[in-house]
Amino acid sequence: MEMGFAAGTAANGGGGAAAATNGGGGGKAPAAAAIREQDRLMPIANVIRIMRRVLPPHAKISDDAKETIQECVSEYISFITGEANERCQREQRKTITAEDVLWAMSRLGFDDYVHPLGVYLHRFREFEGEARGGGLGAGAGGSLRSPRGGPAPGSASSMVPGAQHHHDMQMHAAAMYGNPMAPPHHHAFLMPQPHYGQQYEMYGGGEHGMGAAAYYGGGYAPGNGGHNGDSGSGGGGANTPQAVNFEHQQPFGYK
Amino acid sequence: MRLARPYTVAVGRAAGPHALPLARIKKIMKRSTAGDGGAGGESRMISGEAPVVFSRACELFVAELTRAAWAATLEGKRRTVHREDVAAAVRDVDLFDFLAALVVAHGDAAGCQGALD
Repeated sequence: MEMGFAAGTAANGGGGAAAATNGGGGGKAPAAAAIREQDRLMPIANVIRIMRRVLPPHAKISDDAKETIQECVSEYISFITGEANERCQREQRKTITAEDVLWAMSRLGFDDYVHPLGVYLHRFREFEGEARGGGLGAGAGGSLRSPRGGPAPGSASSMVPGAQHHHDMQMHAAAMYGNPMAPPHHHAFLMPQPHYGQQYEMYGGGEHGMGAAAYYGGGYAPGNGGHNGDSGSGGGGANTPQAVNFEHQQPFGYK
Repeated sequence: MRLARPYTVAVGRAAGPHALPLARIKKIMKRSTAGDGGAGGESRMISGEAPVVFSRACELFVAELTRAAWAATLEGKRRTVHREDVAAAVRDVDLFDFLAALVVAHGDAAGCQGALD
C-alpha cells in the first residue's frame, strides 16, 4: 500500500514540476493541469514558511528542494490517510476521524506526533467550543478520546480560557523540552524554539522551557491513553514548541 | 467547513489560523481514500477535525524533514538546501522511507542519475 501511494505521487511528481515551471514562466497554457496541481499540493508559500522557521537565517532553499518538500507533504497526507482509511474499512465505518488519523500516525512510526497533535486538537476544540458559545468542543463529539481522557496534570491549566492560552502553550512546549525520552530519530534536532524574530530555532535556547518543564514535569501526556498501547510515552520531543508560533502568524492559509 | 468565521479573531491566537489550508488537506485526503478505498463502493467521509490534525502534523513533518535535509546540507558544507539533501534525509531517516520512491523519481525526472537503472 505504501508503495502504491509513493509510486502514484511519484509518477505525478515529474508532471507537477513541469506544470509549475510552465506557470511560473508566464504561460497560461496548461491551465487545467495547473489547477489540478494546485489541488494536489499545499501552497508553496506556506511550506516555505514552515521550512524557514527551522532553518538558520543564512540558509537558502533551492526551488527544487521546495518543490520536493511540497510533494512530500502531499505524500505524507496520502500515506497516513491511506492507513486510516484501511482501518475505517476494516471496522466498516464511513468517516475518517481525527482519532483514525492519529492512530494511523502511531502505526506508521509517527507516534511522536500523536501527543502534540492531541494537545493541538484539544486546544482547537476548546476554542471551537468557546467560539460557538457552547460547551467544550460540544460539536466535536469525542471522536478523540484521549486528550480529555485521563486526569492529566496539565488539563486544569489548559482549560483556562482566553488570555492564558499563549502562556499555556509555552507550558506544553516546556513539557516537551523536559521530556527525557527523546525519540531516537530526532537525533540532532531537539531544540526548536519558535519565537518571533528568532528564526534560527535549531540550536536556539529554550528560555521559556525549563522552569515550566519543572512545573509540568513532562507529565502531561493526554495523547497516550486511548489510541494505542504502543504509542510512545510522552512522544513529540522536538515538535510541540512550534505551536507557539501561531500567535505570530498572520491569517494565511484560507483561500 | 470551518473557514472564515469569527474564529479567525476569537480563536486566531492559539488554535488557528492553521498553517496549512484545511480545504486543500481535505482534498488530498479525499483523493487518497478514493484511490485506495474505492473498492468499498461508497466514498469515505472525512471528519472536520481530521484536516485540523493534519494541518499541524504537516507542520511537524515539514519541520522534521527540513531539519534532516539541512543536516545533509551542512554535511556537504553548503548553505543551500537542495533536492539531494531532501533525498539524503529520506535515506537517512527510517521514518521517511515512504518517501523513497518519490524523491528517487524526482531526481530521475530532473535528469540526475537516479538509483533506478
